Amino acid sequence: MSTRVPIRLSVNGRAHELEVEPRLLLVHLLRDQLGLTGTHVGCDTSNCGACTVHLDGEAVKSCTVLAVQADAAEVTTIEGLTGGDGLHPLQAAFWEDHALQCGYCTPGMIMAAADLLARNPDPSEEEIRHGLEGNLCRCTGYHNIVRAVRDAAAELRAREAGARTTEVV
Amino acid sequence: MSVVEQAPERGEEAQGLIGARVRRREDGRMVTGAARYVADVELPRCCEAAFVRSTVAHARIAAVDVEAARAAPGVLAVLTAAELAAVRPLADLLEIESIKTPRPPLATDRVRYVGEPIVAVIAEDRYAAEDAAELVVVDYEELEPVLDVDVAIARGPLLHDHVPENVYFRSEFRSGGAEEAFAGADLVVARTLRVNRQLASSMETRGVVAQAEPDGLLTVWLSSQAPFQQRYLFALALGLPESRIRVVVPDVGGAFGPKDFVFPEDLCVAHAALTLGRPVRWIEDRQENLMAGSHSKEQKLTVELAFADDGRLLAMRGRFVGDTGAFAYSAPAGLVDVMFTAQSLPGPYVVPAYDYDVLGVLTNKTPVAPYRGVGITAAQTARELLLDEAAERLGIDRVELRRRNLLGDEPTRSITGQEYDGGSYRTSLERALERIDWGGFPARQAAARAEGRHLGIGVSPFIEGTSLGTMAQLQSGFPMPSHDHAWAAVDLTGTVAVGVPTCNHGQGHATAFAQVAAEVLGVGVDDVRVVERDTESSPWGMGTYASRSAVFGGGAVLKAARLLRERILRVASLLLEAPPEALALEDGFVGIAGVPDARIPLAGIAGAAHFDPGVRAALGDAGLRVGVFHDAPPAYSNGCIAVEVEVDVELGTVRLLRTVAVEDCGTMLNPTIVEGQVRGGLVQGIGAALLEHAVYDDDGQPLTTTYMDYLVPRSSDVSAIEVDHVVTPSPRTLGGMKGMAEGSSIATPAAVLNAVADALSPYGFRVERLPLGPHAVWEGLRSGRAG
Ligand code: FES
Ligand code: FES
Repeated sequence: MSTRVPIRLSVNGRAHELEVEPRLLLVHLLRDQLGLTGTHVGCDTSNCGACTVHLDGEAVKSCTVLAVQADAAEVTTIEGLTGGDGLHPLQAAFWEDHALQCGYCTPGMIMAAADLLARNPDPSEEEIRHGLEGNLCRCTGYHNIVRAVRDAAAELRAREAGARTTEVV
Repeated sequence: MSVVEQAPERGEEAQGLIGARVRRREDGRMVTGAARYVADVELPRCCEAAFVRSTVAHARIAAVDVEAARAAPGVLAVLTAAELAAVRPLADLLEIESIKTPRPPLATDRVRYVGEPIVAVIAEDRYAAEDAAELVVVDYEELEPVLDVDVAIARGPLLHDHVPENVYFRSEFRSGGAEEAFAGADLVVARTLRVNRQLASSMETRGVVAQAEPDGLLTVWLSSQAPFQQRYLFALALGLPESRIRVVVPDVGGAFGPKDFVFPEDLCVAHAALTLGRPVRWIEDRQENLMAGSHSKEQKLTVELAFADDGRLLAMRGRFVGDTGAFAYSAPAGLVDVMFTAQSLPGPYVVPAYDYDVLGVLTNKTPVAPYRGVGITAAQTARELLLDEAAERLGIDRVELRRRNLLGDEPTRSITGQEYDGGSYRTSLERALERIDWGGFPARQAAARAEGRHLGIGVSPFIEGTSLGTMAQLQSGFPMPSHDHAWAAVDLTGTVAVGVPTCNHGQGHATAFAQVAAEVLGVGVDDVRVVERDTESSPWGMGTYASRSAVFGGGAVLKAARLLRERILRVASLLLEAPPEALALEDGFVGIAGVPDARIPLAGIAGAAHFDPGVRAALGDAGLRVGVFHDAPPAYSNGCIAVEVEVDVELGTVRLLRTVAVEDCGTMLNPTIVEGQVRGGLVQGIGAALLEHAVYDDDGQPLTTTYMDYLVPRSSDVSAIEVDHVVTPSPRTLGGMKGMAEGSSIATPAAVLNAVADALSPYGFRVERLPLGPHAVWEGLRSGRAG
């Protein structure tokens, strides 16, 4: 077996020091070694997005990132999206709008959508469809996913506006 | 007549929960990453399997050298056909006349498609298993591959020596009168279509984990649609009694048909778990899935329609040749497609005469399995394309032509012997036309043409067999007994559990069936737990496939809940000393109507039924758990899809401008879930029409083994989808449910293709091959222009 490489990374706010095989994929580190099975594998060729997580705040497909590349990085998975209790507005909107059926694509879809909304807080339908085209869903036909992302965007903007109002007061 | 078929009793079904838009209860765990799929099952000392697969399409295996693999680090076992000699090959169990081609779990002396498993390597983890699999050397003596059904029949070579002409199944039907009708017709239109090879391609691939307990029980966690059927298949193949096998289905990441069956890999994993004494798992990777999981739907069909000059359809004729791949083994998988195509060609139209021939043919490709819309999609596509062509040639408006031939809304029997239970065949068409503004389209099209843009519109009314019970199976040409069991119980804390015969893999059963039970039992949806997906949870259930769950699961739950309700009222009548007719069951209490104080909570009723000897004796020790079997008569959903597209004649691309789906599945359990199914199926239909095709080269090498080559629709490939409902409850099924989920995938390709043909009508464009990707559009334009 190949030599192991020490890495340190933070996952959902928790620090980990690990020794990994150089060829270990980030998605397998998360799933098999850290037990974070909310990140799924749908293709391992970087086409489906089921494995999407945030690496230093940006969405990446964790099936195409080596664990050693995440050394010194901060990783957020679906399990850590809210950083606490309750649901993220995207999670709530996916639920409310029936934006999932089997749920397999859902964590990756939500992580990709979170990244999209961080860059574009008020995306049009067109922008959402293009923004999420790297995430495949075989069940829903995307209609309700697009709706949920728009609803979550509105909720996030309302919260933001609320926060700003509070600051002003 | 039993109590269950009587009209609802007083107080029952007053909450309006059946048909309510209840938010799905399963979603909480799914949006937070807490759902547990088969790849998430964690067992101590679990090892992993990897497979060595054939790299050639057709060959004799001269030798397999596994010595280096056996010696590789972390390897626990290397299995070849020799090690699996005791495992019986998989074969279909249908009572139909066909030549069986049972498939061994691992190839013995011959391989028949690229991807066929030859060796299974079991190691400490998948990385080690794959490293060792690389060390296996297979010596092939290559044979000529057969990749086309016509060649397979005409000259072979034979895939299986006992299957002459590579034809393992034939069926024909002559209604009488077709020949005369064709001879006397004013117009005959005909088309030969090659339907693309497709994959269900659920986002979760196949997966299995097996563990042998010291007491001899084999537990199999399986990504599945039909655990009871699979337990039986495992038992037959492994030579174990069913009582020693438990199949547990975790959350399932989609299925759409192929996960009904046991696959060779499943048997290898189960066998390894039994012999190694350690749990073994195999999670299919996407390349394996696209190459060797299961394919679907490819066929060559020729359909002819005969018309009178007033547009009346006089007769149909069809020849359907299914490209099954290398084995027809997974139950009806190989046959279903073409038989369903043949049986469903009449669709929602009056067809006075019909002849068909069906052939099932073997080729050196991955074996097929059912995929949403099985066979019916091909029939619908061919028929609707021809209706548009006939309309044009008869000089009759294409909607008007359909109106003249549509069935009336009352129950009727199709010429192929299928008992339609009536529907809204006409209303659905009209509704779809209205919703897409069909009337305003000519102006939109003309305006666009003036700008050099090409708009087209298409419409596709469908009928969908959704209640595949014993009778419908018989009528579809596949005799297969069906029965489903449900139970319902009240526990000591007064909450309800129902055990259902279905197998949720995205359809929201935990919500929809809870709605049914809650309605009947006068409790809240959250007071009902739905138990399924475990062979220990119920005596038997067929599973979830062919859009059957609302009819069989919903019907069985309704039946069980009504019996339970009757039992509850009997106990209450003893306790309250009032006749059952005077009692009302609501909000978790049984009370006497008009006497506010006289009421007992369900917990009290359950307590008495369990522990009060007098009550127990009165109930004959029956308790508050009832179980009941259910089979349902045939039922048929219907609806209509309409699509408006724009075609870019330079690029050959198709953009969806408007998409409308009207569906009628009878009584809906939860319209939100119904709409989700409609939209999901519709987008799969768009994939079928425009994108998806499993391609082989001339040597039989699959070329579409990643999502870069096999194109499932992305969010940017499709647009918003309007859904509308017409509700015509089935007069035949319990509760009036008809079931649904496939209609939109059945009807969408025809609507899209007709819309494209309409857009390109100035070029004389004709659809002959599928999918209609940019290249096919471009070629069609070129030949149309030339012609
Ligand atoms: S699993 Fe990573 S993109 Fe599909
Ligand atoms: S919900 Fe099943 S893949 Fe998206």
